[in-house]
Amino acid sequence: MKKTPSIISLSNISKEYVMGDESIFSALSEVNLEIHKGEYSAIVGPSGSGKSTLMHIIGLLDKPTRGKVIINGHDTARLDDDQTSKVRNQFVGFVFQQFNLLNKLTIKENVLLPVAYSREKLDFDPEKRALGLLEKFDILSKKDSYPNKISGGQQQRVAIARALIMNPQLILADEPTGNLDTKTGNEILKLFEDLNKEGITVLLVTHEPDIAARTNRQIKVLDGKIVEKYND
Amino acid sequence: MVIKQLYMAAFADFRRDKVRTGLTSLGITIGVLSVVLLIALGLGLKNYISQQFENMGANLIMIMPGSGFSSGTMGAGMIGSGMVEFDEKDARDLQKIPNLKYVVPLFFKSTVISSADAEKIGYIMAANEDLFPLLNVQAEYGEIWGKTEINKKSKVAVIGAIMAEDLFENPSDAIGKTVRVEGVRLKIIGVGKKIGDPEQDKALFIPYTTAYGSINPNKTFWSIYLGVPSKDMVPGVSEAAKEILLKRYDKDKFSVSEQSEILSTVDQIFGIINIVLIAIGSISLLVGGIGIMNIMYATVTERTREVGIRRAIGATKRDILLQFLSESTLLSVFGGLMGLLLATGIILLVRIWFPVALNVVAVIVAIGVSSAIGIFFGVSPAKKAANLSPIDAIRYE
Repeated sequence: MKKTPSIISLSNISKEYVMGDESIFSALSEVNLEIHKGEYSAIVGPSGSGKSTLMHIIGLLDKPTRGKVIINGHDTARLDDDQTSKVRNQFVGFVFQQFNLLNKLTIKENVLLPVAYSREKLDFDPEKRALGLLEKFDILSKKDSYPNKISGGQQQRVAIARALIMNPQLILADEPTGNLDTKTGNEILKLFEDLNKEGITVLLVTHEPDIAARTNRQIKVLDGKIVEKYND
Repeated sequence: MVIKQLYMAAFADFRRDKVRTGLTSLGITIGVLSVVLLIALGLGLKNYISQQFENMGANLIMIMPGSGFSSGTMGAGMIGSGMVEFDEKDARDLQKIPNLKYVVPLFFKSTVISSADAEKIGYIMAANEDLFPLLNVQAEYGEIWGKTEINKKSKVAVIGAIMAEDLFENPSDAIGKTVRVEGVRLKIIGVGKKIGDPEQDKALFIPYTTAYGSINPNKTFWSIYLGVPSKDMVPGVSEAAKEILLKRYDKDKFSVSEQSEILSTVDQIFGIINIVLIAIGSISLLVGGIGIMNIMYATVTERTREVGIRRAIGATKRDILLQFLSESTLLSVFGGLMGLLLATGIILLVRIWFPVALNVVAVIVAIGVSSAIGIFFGVSPAKKAANLSPIDAIRYE
């Protein structure tokens, strides 16, 4: 483990769903996990292992049935909707497999969207920052296009720019290369590596061990538990 | 998110889907259109009728058979059998009241008026010379008759403008011509100015003494008008008139009403008519509102994923609620403005024939109500959107 302070700390996290026949499905059970500042890690596991649920709980998109999610030393169980939204707005940046851009907004508007939901005075010029990020990711020329007019790789770059606009401490990427061909996927992974080198904590979720292997730490998930090794 | 941004975003959305925006707002457009038009119609009718009374001059007392305007039986049975018919003695008795400007006993009858080559249904109004100031009748051509003609029972008449047109084509040609009414030949000495009242414009005004005979064989009058020099004398004169008439007739056989009373009755009646009209119009507003709610529900479902994305990047429940509320409000206000615009056009057009009136209250109410509908019917879908679980929403396919 690195010596940097932990920004996320999960203790005894369980997530259970009541199924249609009233039986209980346990997606996560008793998970303990620390994510440290500056990490580049992957949550890896086969589909249905609970890795996405774990990521959603870390990003406060979902609530655990039991257990504590501590972000920067604060217990998130006590946060109300406004405060939870603020954490999602400022602390985390999400990147999804489906890109999840809004098709009716232009590329630039998509990147700027989180700014609209920020209630605090920003210490940067959002417009300038957005254009800077688009330039950095080599998609500045598409700033006035709409998402459905650009390629998947380009859309994912826009999504990453959107995730970065608020200067988050943590990037959560759920299968970010899942919808891309290998070459484009590699380019995206390279991007994450560069961002990590700039000091941003990056947590990937993937079912591909090859991709996980490129990160510094692999958190293996199986049947809702963190395991040391798969028994393949 | 700033409200202005929300509205701009909603507006941009609507521009992208004009057909749907138009159709969704159509319900509100029709609702507002019907409410504004119905109010305009109600007000127009009221103004029209009030105008008819006001034309008669402000300080007027009307004596009529039956229990009259104020008891609510207005019109019905006023000329029924067994009703009082006034006569010259009543007029003479009333003449004795001090502070009177004039007493006009009026005989009124619908009848056929014929010229040498035409025949029309019109009205006979037989009274004394004060009838002309009473009804605001002035001569466009020729002159009006006076006391002399009454004393001489002259067979002369002043003809209403429309009747003159109907019988002689060119109204000015009527002067000096003869018309026949109920076997009496009358010489036209004057043509009245058109005043927009169908009864007066189609009337033949003759001295009441001339009507005695075949036109008014019983020498009776259907009503008597008292003109008073100033408003504050109206109550006193009206009391005096009642006292005089009570000597001859039962209390419930006649009525003495002041014009202000009649106007307030007219006001009351139209107040009720207006409420009924607004209520009818409001049904279409309600239907329009439900249409918006329906579309907003569909929109929420269709945009579940968008809600999830927005929540993931920091939108609060309140942000989502406001987003959908501003859309439904904008939709219905847009519909409302369209309705108002259409209504204004129609009103301006109809005005050529009928004095409909667009009033400020109706406009404010239309806009207010349509935004209220947007909010009211938008709340439930917007709440649904706001309460979506972010993770379920973002996974929604």
